[in-house]
Amino acid sequence: MPNTDPQEQIVNVSGADIRVLKGGEGKPLVIFHGVEGSFGWCAYQRGLAQQCTVYAPSLPGFDQSQRPEWLESFADLSRFSLWLLQQLGLEKASLLGYGMGGWLAAEMAAMCPQVVDRLVLIDAAGIQPQQAEITDIFLHGLDATRQMAFFDAQQAPEHDTLFKRKLSPEERETRVQNQESAVRYCWRPYMYERSLPHLLPRLRMPTLVVWGQEDRLIPVECAELYRQAIPGARLEVLPQCGHYPHLEKTEQFIGLVRDFLK
Amino acid sequence: MFLMRFTERAYVAYSAEDVHNSFRSAVRLTFPNRHFNPALGADLYNEYLDEYEYSDRIGFDGLMLNEHHNTPTCLGATMNLEAAILARTTKNAKIVLLGNPLPIFENPIRLAEELAEIDMISRGRLVSGFVRGTGIETWATNTNPVYNRERFQEAHDLVIKTWTTPGPFRWESKHYQFRVVNPFERPLQQPHPPIWIPGIGSPETLVWCAHHHYPYIYLETDPQITLDMMEIYAQAAREVGYEPGPQNFGYLVRIHVQDTDEKAYKVGEGFLVGNAGVGRLPLPGDFMAPPGYNSREGVKRLLEQYKHSLKPDPLYGGVDGAGWDKVVETNRVIIGSPKTVIRKVREMLSTVRPGILGVWTNDGTISHKDTMRCLQLMEKEVLPAMKEMGKELGLPGPFEQAP
Repeated sequence: MPNTDPQEQIVNVSGADIRVLKGGEGKPLVIFHGVEGSFGWCAYQRGLAQQCTVYAPSLPGFDQSQRPEWLESFADLSRFSLWLLQQLGLEKASLLGYGMGGWLAAEMAAMCPQVVDRLVLIDAAGIQPQQAEITDIFLHGLDATRQMAFFDAQQAPEHDTLFKRKLSPEERETRVQNQESAVRYCWRPYMYERSLPHLLPRLRMPTLVVWGQEDRLIPVECAELYRQAIPGARLEVLPQCGHYPHLEKTEQFIGLVRDFLK
Repeated sequence: MFLMRFTERAYVAYSAEDVHNSFRSAVRLTFPNRHFNPALGADLYNEYLDEYEYSDRIGFDGLMLNEHHNTPTCLGATMNLEAAILARTTKNAKIVLLGNPLPIFENPIRLAEELAEIDMISRGRLVSGFVRGTGIETWATNTNPVYNRERFQEAHDLVIKTWTTPGPFRWESKHYQFRVVNPFERPLQQPHPPIWIPGIGSPETLVWCAHHHYPYIYLETDPQITLDMMEIYAQAAREVGYEPGPQNFGYLVRIHVQDTDEKAYKVGEGFLVGNAGVGRLPLPGDFMAPPGYNSREGVKRLLEQYKHSLKPDPLYGGVDGAGWDKVVETNRVIIGSPKTVIRKVREMLSTVRPGILGVWTNDGTISHKDTMRCLQLMEKEVLPAMKEMGKELGLPGPFEQAP
């Protein structure tokens, strides 16, 4: 069994120090977090690290990763993250992202498809739904959003550790900064880029789209829009699951992704 | 001393239950506009304008207007329209806009044009205040809160340059770009109308105002905290080589007069549903300050302020618990007969020492009839007394002594 415990490394990109957790063995897999920032090293990452070398960066402005002053838009974030791959020494890697991180992975793949081995999009933002709406998490506030994010929090063993423990003052400050960063990148238009669905048809890498059937933050309709836009993409919709399949249906999720990345 | 009259122009025809049942029980931003009746709105706008016109005739030096969005607590959604009407229908008082929320404007040049027109129509009576706007304004206009302060400063610089630099010129800044800045209409007051800035004391704004010699108007902040914040301004002023005086500071206070103390006590209670709204439920914090709206330093300062004010200051937060009696006893709202009000205003002026006094005469459920009576009583006794006090206490306004 490979050692799946992570090590933290600091990678400098454009003068900014970026925190990256790295663990496991195998082909490289880079995981991009959502608007809440890094959840640390979770069970699903340990599961994937048995098969891949997992890199989990904290994006600029999140979790004490620095943000260069010029970096202000989602397009900037995408270009910066491609540079991050280069600084990590990854000529080609699989990308996995959830929520905002899924949007980021899709943008990176559309910008520079040759560096993406395989693409995994989990309940990803980025495409404007045609029927429903992407829930305005800033308007609903943090507590309500967390409740909406889960179909059944009790089926997510890490839920209480992640969301119910008392935060230290430093962690509270980090949470505020993470929210600010999410607002900076995603405020308007809210959580999508009009051009993205028009650029995705150029993708040729194998793509897996995973979605919680009961996602109340990003409607499952967006999963179908991703599937339609990306040639050959496979869609897996998990029943009785909310916005975080990797937390709520961890074993099933690990199995799906490991099979796909084999 | 410069005396200006103010009301937020409230709309109160909805119930506490309506607020309670709205999204996140908020009276601002998401409170459904089905609760607004335009027929009643038509009456209210006209009554509020009547009150301002009367205030001009009875000797107020200024008519103060403000602007908020998506809220029944203030009908001034486009304050410049009311200002334009008053520019034509009043004769003497300055028209004091406190203020236009700069960050929400996509085109500050259009704003510069509107203000120049108001200044000309009023024959040079415009005081052009600017604000960052509350978080609600940011939400209502979908302006990214992270850039609120940057947009405020850029828009301010662009408006001032538009007024003072011969066009055409080109403007390229981070948030605003214009090829040909050359509005033909320029303000009557040269080099531009006076700029005053209202707020509740964010330290960055205080320093910025001091550096620009802009008077800062404290919006009914706790008196002791107001004095502390004045010191932040004063230190910043000294850094750039001048000593500020009363002419650099304004203070807005709710002051309501009736024939007797008893009547004022009863009518004045209507203030309580003023800017907090009918139902007086607290707004979600992220409505007033979405992520990124305040700097880290600003947040710390506000938290200290609230920590201080929640307990001893019955006007904010604790008012329902403390009750109207406590609000009145502590003079956080000044009410009474003319004699009582004159005494209480003197006490307040002696402590805070502003050169600009914002007289917030009515709000919430205080009726038009009671407001008009309040203004009549102010004309006869209170305004002349306040003007005397300004002289006696050495409180020059910004038109008597340059800030």
